Amino acid sequence: MKTIKILIAILASSISVAQAQFIKADLQVSGLTCSMCSKATEKSLRSLPFISDIKPDLNRNLFTITFKANSPVSLEQMSKKVQGAGFSINQLTATVNFDKLKLNNNTFSYAGDTYHLVNGNNKELDGTMPVTVVNKGFAAPAVVRKYAAPVVTASASGKTYKLVL
Amino acid sequence: MLAWLCTAMAQELYVNTEPASNMAAKSLGIRLENQGYFKPDFKQRSTLELMYGVNKNLMIHSTAYLSNFYQNQQRFEGLSAYAKYRFYSIDTVQRHFRMAAFAKVASIKNPIPNQEIALEGDNTGIQGGLVATQLLHKLALSGSASYLRAFENKGGYQPGTRNSIAYTLSAGYLLFPKRYTNYEQTNINLYAELLGKTNPGKGQHYLDIAPAVQFIFNSVFRVDLSYRTPLTNRMVRNTQNMYLVRLEYNLFNLFN
Repeated sequence: MKTIKILIAILASSISVAQAQFIKADLQVSGLTCSMCSKATEKSLRSLPFISDIKPDLNRNLFTITFKANSPVSLEQMSKKVQGAGFSINQLTATVNFDKLKLNNNTFSYAGDTYHLVNGNNKELDGTMPVTVVNKGFAAPAVVRKYAAPVVTASASGKTYKLVL
Repeated sequence: MLAWLCTAMAQELYVNTEPASNMAAKSLGIRLENQGYFKPDFKQRSTLELMYGVNKNLMIHSTAYLSNFYQNQQRFEGLSAYAKYRFYSIDTVQRHFRMAAFAKVASIKNPIPNQEIALEGDNTGIQGGLVATQLLHKLALSGSASYLRAFENKGGYQPGTRNSIAYTLSAGYLLFPKRYTNYEQTNINLYAELLGKTNPGKGQHYLDIAPAVQFIFNSVFRVDLSYRTPLTNRMVRNTQNMYLVRLEYNLFNLFN
């Protein structure tokens, strides 16, 4: 009985802990020169299990990606798909629901990865906000260089992403 | 002409050459091609080519050749294999510069009455070279230089020329659509390509101009039409005044 109570308590606490949730992303790809290239890139991205829909803007080489509600999003896999198709990410801006998320030293965890807000002020994040990834492989070289300063890695496992609000 | 080129959106899917860019990884392209000439007699060659994107940097082609160039009946002539490795890329949204190294090997059974070394069905040999492609806003230019070495053709035919240097310069632009709205829009691309070869120490050389038009349907099916004709010609060969008709179908993201 005692263990069940503890289990319920743990469950309840884990539910009440605020979780960041990735809703959608605007992904701009560089190196695309034709609709064949865009189509190949989109088909490659669509094979990821956490993507529910992609709307392309062929004039701007921009894909608006909607994520599935309860699937953990892996930014790393998205970058791999774009690079595998032969292109590179120029900008990745994700819309994240922070739901009263408390930051710890400007970082939060999501699906095993650590996310560091480069220009955060350690305040509680709330509501839906766009964040831009500035890691190598996710942004234009000039942007990567601008935010090249290393961040403190909070957890040993997973990747650390640098985000700009 | 140049001003017009600069206002159109450039394309890199060259008809007579390969760009430094590769096709998408894990994608298969299937090409059916017919090339030929009308003088002194109508002769034609058909090729089946399979192209595969191994990874983001490497793609391979393999091609089978069938023609009546050297006899009255259509006959299987041999095979070639081609690999291209992209080793340098600077990508931004509006411009990119890429470089790739390529190599080709062909095994062909045909007599060799020509001075041109052509690994597209005529000669057994090897080819290696570099290609660079620059996209500058709306103009895409591509240039390549390569070395060709001919060996004895199957059937014991010796080549009169063993060494050759090939060079190409290509430009392309998008005619339609003026503005992209979806993948189903038919693209019409126009190309102008310069194709040259010179056989060192032999005084044999040529430079062809090859205009081409290209249609892309549903972003997967491509039709190329081209005709090459000499600007200068001091080489005995099949390729002068040759037409090209090509159908290409692409299967993206095959193996996941």
